[in-house]
Amino acid sequence: MMAYKRIKVWSVLLRLFHWAFALSIVTLCITGYYIHNPFALGPWEGTPTTFIMAKTRLIHFIAGFIFIAAVIVRFYLLFFGNRFERFTDFVPITPRNFKRLLATIKHYLYLSDEHVPHGGHNPLAGTVYLVMLLLSILMIFSGLFLLFPESSFWVGWGKTLFGTQQSARLVHYFFFWVFLVFSLIHVYLVVWNDIFGCEAIVSSIFSGRKFVRSDKH
Amino acid sequence: MSRLLWNGLGKLKRRDFLKACTILTAAMGLPVEMVDKVAAAIKSPQRPPVIWLHFMECTGCSESLLRASHPDIARLILDIISLEYHETLMAAAGKQAEEVLEASVKKYKGRFICVVEGAISTKDGGVYCKIGGRTSLEILKDVASQAKAVVAVGTCACFGGVQAAHPNPTGAVGVGKIITNKPLINVPGCPPNPYNILGTLVYILTFGKFPELDKYRRPKFGYGRRIHDQCERRPHFDEGRFVEQFGDEGHKKGYCLYKVGCKGPVTYANCPVVRFCDVGVWPVGSGHGCLGCTEPDFWDKMEPFYEHLPGVEVPGGQGIISKADKVGKVALGAAAVGIAAHATAGVVKKIAHKEKEE
Repeated sequence: MMAYKRIKVWSVLLRLFHWAFALSIVTLCITGYYIHNPFALGPWEGTPTTFIMAKTRLIHFIAGFIFIAAVIVRFYLLFFGNRFERFTDFVPITPRNFKRLLATIKHYLYLSDEHVPHGGHNPLAGTVYLVMLLLSILMIFSGLFLLFPESSFWVGWGKTLFGTQQSARLVHYFFFWVFLVFSLIHVYLVVWNDIFGCEAIVSSIFSGRKFVRSDKH
Repeated sequence: MSRLLWNGLGKLKRRDFLKACTILTAAMGLPVEMVDKVAAAIKSPQRPPVIWLHFMECTGCSESLLRASHPDIARLILDIISLEYHETLMAAAGKQAEEVLEASVKKYKGRFICVVEGAISTKDGGVYCKIGGRTSLEILKDVASQAKAVVAVGTCACFGGVQAAHPNPTGAVGVGKIITNKPLINVPGCPPNPYNILGTLVYILTFGKFPELDKYRRPKFGYGRRIHDQCERRPHFDEGRFVEQFGDEGHKKGYCLYKVGCKGPVTYANCPVVRFCDVGVWPVGSGHGCLGCTEPDFWDKMEPFYEHLPGVEVPGGQGIISKADKVGKVALGAAAVGIAAHATAGVVKKIAHKEKEE
């Protein structure tokens, strides 16, 4: 019989970040796709006005600012969070993390049955999350460049990073698909981990607590 | 030269002169009190002369200036700025013309404004554009080095224009790529609005300095705001009323052209406000989307013109251009297939495991 104990992994701030990030991404994807391709036509002249595009854009911008706040919180936690939340715990820059990265890949490919007890993020997931965070910065800068076309600050940055508004628009749209693919894989792998692993990974993002083997450590 | 060409058509009347000054002052975004100052600067005998160079271009920018339905503009430019050399307008030709150029450059050295229309060929020593036996590259370097300031007129002179479009066989570039040590203003557009050309020149005459410029060295009075934010069809955009295809009911009703590829949301220009030909026309007003002609590399970056987004270059493929939509959907599909395969493998493994246990 294996023995488990319940430990605290995710702080309240990280859980708040996760849900602000997740829900804002869902909102941004839906409203953003509508802005890109307004599939439902607004009312024709003579019917009461709805301003559907103006309102969709408003929701997109509000969700965008929540997204920005979430990204700032995660960057703070990367350096000042608890030991599971810091980048040193999961970025494969130490031999321990690198070994765990290989073990995770093997486990995901069904080559090994051993579920590596990570506590926090496994190095594979953690690295992908870090890449997504960096891509978020690209989304934020392209978004603010498009939102504030007459602000010298954002136009200065936007032109340095992307060139014209059209290029920024392409970047902003292209990475929308990356976020969509990421979300799909993320949800699948979390559910997969919940089935094959023993950490209770899905409930950990609500409770902040995971199960770890107490007989091994 | 200007007198020679235009005296027969009658001199500019004072009333028309002030009218034109007022239009220009408004186009530069200056208050009405400045009209007197502008008029005084234009009349001043010390005004700097202009030497107008033509390279690889269609002369559409000169046409836009001269064929404006308001004849005052054409006369104004010839009367207000002393145009010393302009291949299309000058009476001289051939050897005489080249002598005029040489003489004016020498006479007004360090004082004249060099206006450039058209792109410059740089490939193979610039042999793809030659005038009087000299390449455009040589002429530009020679003339611009002695000018007080350089004004690039039109998208070709600013960013290379159509001949710089991929694969750019003649190595066409804008003035800014060659002349880096002289004050430069870009007045892009295909063609640029005549008021933006004149406004820029008159601003320099009036104040002796450049107007405020943006990062692409375009004057902010003409290129400081996006077309979309000043467009007369903007309420239709906000209300979600779009033209689905040319000629449909929405198009007849003048709805927003966003879905048929209008690049107004990403293009900086004052077309909706100043408009063209003095009769209030401009592309979107006439039912055609904006092509984004005032933006750098618009021939490559705004293509396809009737779609929302440009093509995506697929890495590794030679010149393979795909739609962002397509790339995204393929990636999403591949991820879904990958997940399905992974999940199936997991289930198969569990079943195999159970059989072994039994």
